[in-house]
Amino acid sequence: MSANRLTIPFQRTANLSLITRWIIGAVVLAVMLWRLYSVVFVEAIYGPDTWVRFAISGLILGGMYALIAIGYALVYGILFMINFAHGEVMMLGMFGGYFVFEGLNAVPAPGNPELTFLNAYPGLAVLLAFLTGMGVSSLAGYFLEKIAYRPLRNAPRLVPLISAIGASIFLQNAAQLLFGPQRRNYTNPDFLTRGQGWNIPIGEGTVIVTYTGVFSFVLSVLLMIALYMLVQKTKLGRAMRAVAQDKKTAALMGIDVDAVISRTFIISGILAGAAGVMWGIHQGIVYYFIGFLPGIKAFTAAVLGGIGNIPGAMVGGLFLGLIESIGPAALGIDFQLKDVIAFSILILVLIFRPSGILGEALSEEKI
Amino acid sequence: MTANPVRNGLRAGAIFAVIVVFLTLIGFTVTGSGLIAKTLGSAVSGSRLPSPGYLVVFLALLGIWGGSTAARPDPRGDRLSTSAVAGLISGLVIGVISTVLALVFSVLLANKVDPRAYLSMVSPDSMRLFLFNLHEAASPAVPAALHLVLQLLAGVLGGVIAYAVRRLSIRQAAGSRLRSISDNIKSNELVEWFQRTPYAIYILYAVIAIVLFFLPRQWGSYWNYIIGTVGIYVILGLGLNIIVGLAGQLVLGYVAFFAIGAYTVALLTAPQPHGLYVNFWVTLVIAIVLSALTGLLLGLPIMRLRGDYLAIVTLGFGEIIRILLRSDLLTSFTAGPKGVRAIAGPTLFGRPLTSDINFLYLIILAVLASIFITNRLQNSRTGRSWMAIREDEIAARASGINTTQSKLLALAIGAAFAGLGGVLFASRNQFTGPEDHTLMVSINVLALVIVGGMGSIPGIILGAFALKGLPEMLRELENYRLMVFGGLLVIMMILRPEGLWPGGHPKLEKAPERELKVPETAQQVQPEVEGVKNASKP
Repeated sequence: MSANRLTIPFQRTANLSLITRWIIGAVVLAVMLWRLYSVVFVEAIYGPDTWVRFAISGLILGGMYALIAIGYALVYGILFMINFAHGEVMMLGMFGGYFVFEGLNAVPAPGNPELTFLNAYPGLAVLLAFLTGMGVSSLAGYFLEKIAYRPLRNAPRLVPLISAIGASIFLQNAAQLLFGPQRRNYTNPDFLTRGQGWNIPIGEGTVIVTYTGVFSFVLSVLLMIALYMLVQKTKLGRAMRAVAQDKKTAALMGIDVDAVISRTFIISGILAGAAGVMWGIHQGIVYYFIGFLPGIKAFTAAVLGGIGNIPGAMVGGLFLGLIESIGPAALGIDFQLKDVIAFSILILVLIFRPSGILGEALSEEKI
Repeated sequence: MTANPVRNGLRAGAIFAVIVVFLTLIGFTVTGSGLIAKTLGSAVSGSRLPSPGYLVVFLALLGIWGGSTAARPDPRGDRLSTSAVAGLISGLVIGVISTVLALVFSVLLANKVDPRAYLSMVSPDSMRLFLFNLHEAASPAVPAALHLVLQLLAGVLGGVIAYAVRRLSIRQAAGSRLRSISDNIKSNELVEWFQRTPYAIYILYAVIAIVLFFLPRQWGSYWNYIIGTVGIYVILGLGLNIIVGLAGQLVLGYVAFFAIGAYTVALLTAPQPHGLYVNFWVTLVIAIVLSALTGLLLGLPIMRLRGDYLAIVTLGFGEIIRILLRSDLLTSFTAGPKGVRAIAGPTLFGRPLTSDINFLYLIILAVLASIFITNRLQNSRTGRSWMAIREDEIAARASGINTTQSKLLALAIGAAFAGLGGVLFASRNQFTGPEDHTLMVSINVLALVIVGGMGSIPGIILGAFALKGLPEMLRELENYRLMVFGGLLVIMMILRPEGLWPGGHPKLEKAPERELKVPETAQQVQPEVEGVKNASKP
């Protein structure tokens, strides 16, 4: 077999491509190892506490990326389209949670006029905020699919992408018109005050593990487990996997394909909404454009893990979060360039594993 | 779809009620009524609100639309009553929701609450307008009831109109009228001559050349600027069309090559940060070559990636370039986030060509050259091999096409066009900075290629006008322009998924059909064979 392939003339350029890949890989790896060595052992700017701090913030960020990335993976697995408006769906959920917190903060608690409702019943308030955020996002996802994507089900592959871009522009500007262009501070209940947390001594310094961070990370892990159970164990999950594999056959087996696609968008909206409220609680700022960057990053994460592959999206999200926070320090590069490092790693990973870290869950003929 | 008028009415009513509430909350009721006032010939001064009468017209139009949407044809016999009932119910839903909104607004106004802290476009003025300026004169029930009555009437009217349009077959009448007009035009002698003559295409070219020559002198500099932008985007679109439309490789980081072109001319000609003062035409060539080389170098390791992996890698590359351009690391080389100023314009025999009219001529020339080159490429052996790769990469490889080389060539040529566009862009604005090279540029170019129709050159020109010209034409809509633009993008894709002027897959795969000559002997043999078959059957 290999002898046959060698006689085909294109093999020469393919080899050129292979050689380039290996040269680039070797050079980049050498530079990275050298930088890592000099930063960690020679310069030793950061103590172990700083490294732990970077790792923790990376995990928290990665958890949120993973939640959004799952939304991309779910939709991609079923429709083979990049849901470009997913970041905006997340932004709407973020606003949903914001308004619940603001509203509850304006209402005095029943029976205790010194406290606002938000701080008298913080658990209930957080629950309400998440339910609202997830509800808003899932509604947005549902209608997005119904209005902008369903009529294009049989169109060429790039057409829904442009429709998604249009929807994304529409939602961004609609949010700007509705809520104004200003950046707003997310109001948290007192027990989730930003920047406060447990102090853990590590090495010479202490590391603050923020309450918001732990909360976000635990919640995102729980949601990921729930999603995994849903996809693997329930009837809906089985239907989703069937539709992802082959729509026509799934329809012949009595699965309502349209309904499954709608529900997929609802589920990805729920995850995006939860990620949005978490993002608000942890990062503290909400405005109309905030969905854009996390959306792009999460899409990157989804590709990094292998498009359409749900565990891949989780791994990709965590990996991207870690790279973003540890990368600049590890390579001794300015923190301005964290996105450069993230995207360079992405390119490197894809050069050597062209279908993502965990590989894609699709067969080739579908693309 | 069942033809239950109640259900149809409820559904249409709910949709339009949401639209009315949404438009009110984003303050479009004010702008919309203002637009109606302007169309009806009433002068609206900048800051004053339009009179409530125009709001009534605006809301009534929405209600009529809702009512006519609700009044679907009834397959069991189209009756006026069902249409009217559907319209009435739709009006009822819209009316009740508007009433609730009106009551909320009157309560807010009475308590002097300014919702602008949360809903930025709902000012007290716009709330007063929504209550038809009646909140002080009367109890809150009056404007609320007025909304309900208005929507009920509009809904019924909409239902009746929809019914009338169906019954009187106004659509068919309009269609046949149009057809007769077009027949008249076609049967006109001059038009017939034009269709027959072989010189038609040259006449068309001559007309276009004259228009392109004289129009830049007629427009003001504002329109020259817009048309220049459209021209630059046509060049970018033609380049991306080679990569996406012909070779079928999704590239989302096209802006990287644009940035390389722009920064090459900027760094080589501007007095800051390097002060090299190289001649514009030299830098033009350098920029194009550099962009193409970048495309080649980027393509070498990644060209085996498929579909969306390629998209995300190129997207990442575009972002890397932008972030590097603005980073502190390269500030001494690229002037950092504040950008490069005073970029030189082109000169011709020592005379500067920087006036907007001259520059527009330059852009038009560049566009014509690009169209010529892409057209020749598209019909060449290379172009056909690109299309083969687009249709089926494995089959293309099996038929002896060197796919890696072809794809690399497509990327390099596409990148060269982006470099040209970048040079023109930076040199015309005499400035370029990292914020000129965001992801939105790539997305815009991709959108114009697809909106126009992939793989079609006239489509790309149309797409460039739609994507860069349309937002300018929507200036009338002020703040709502981008939102409307996004919505239109979705609607355009739904109505014409193949693009405004689709490329039409060339019929390369089919040889022209030939008449098969059946030999006479064969025809004589035929009945015998039949007979044998029949004989052997029983």
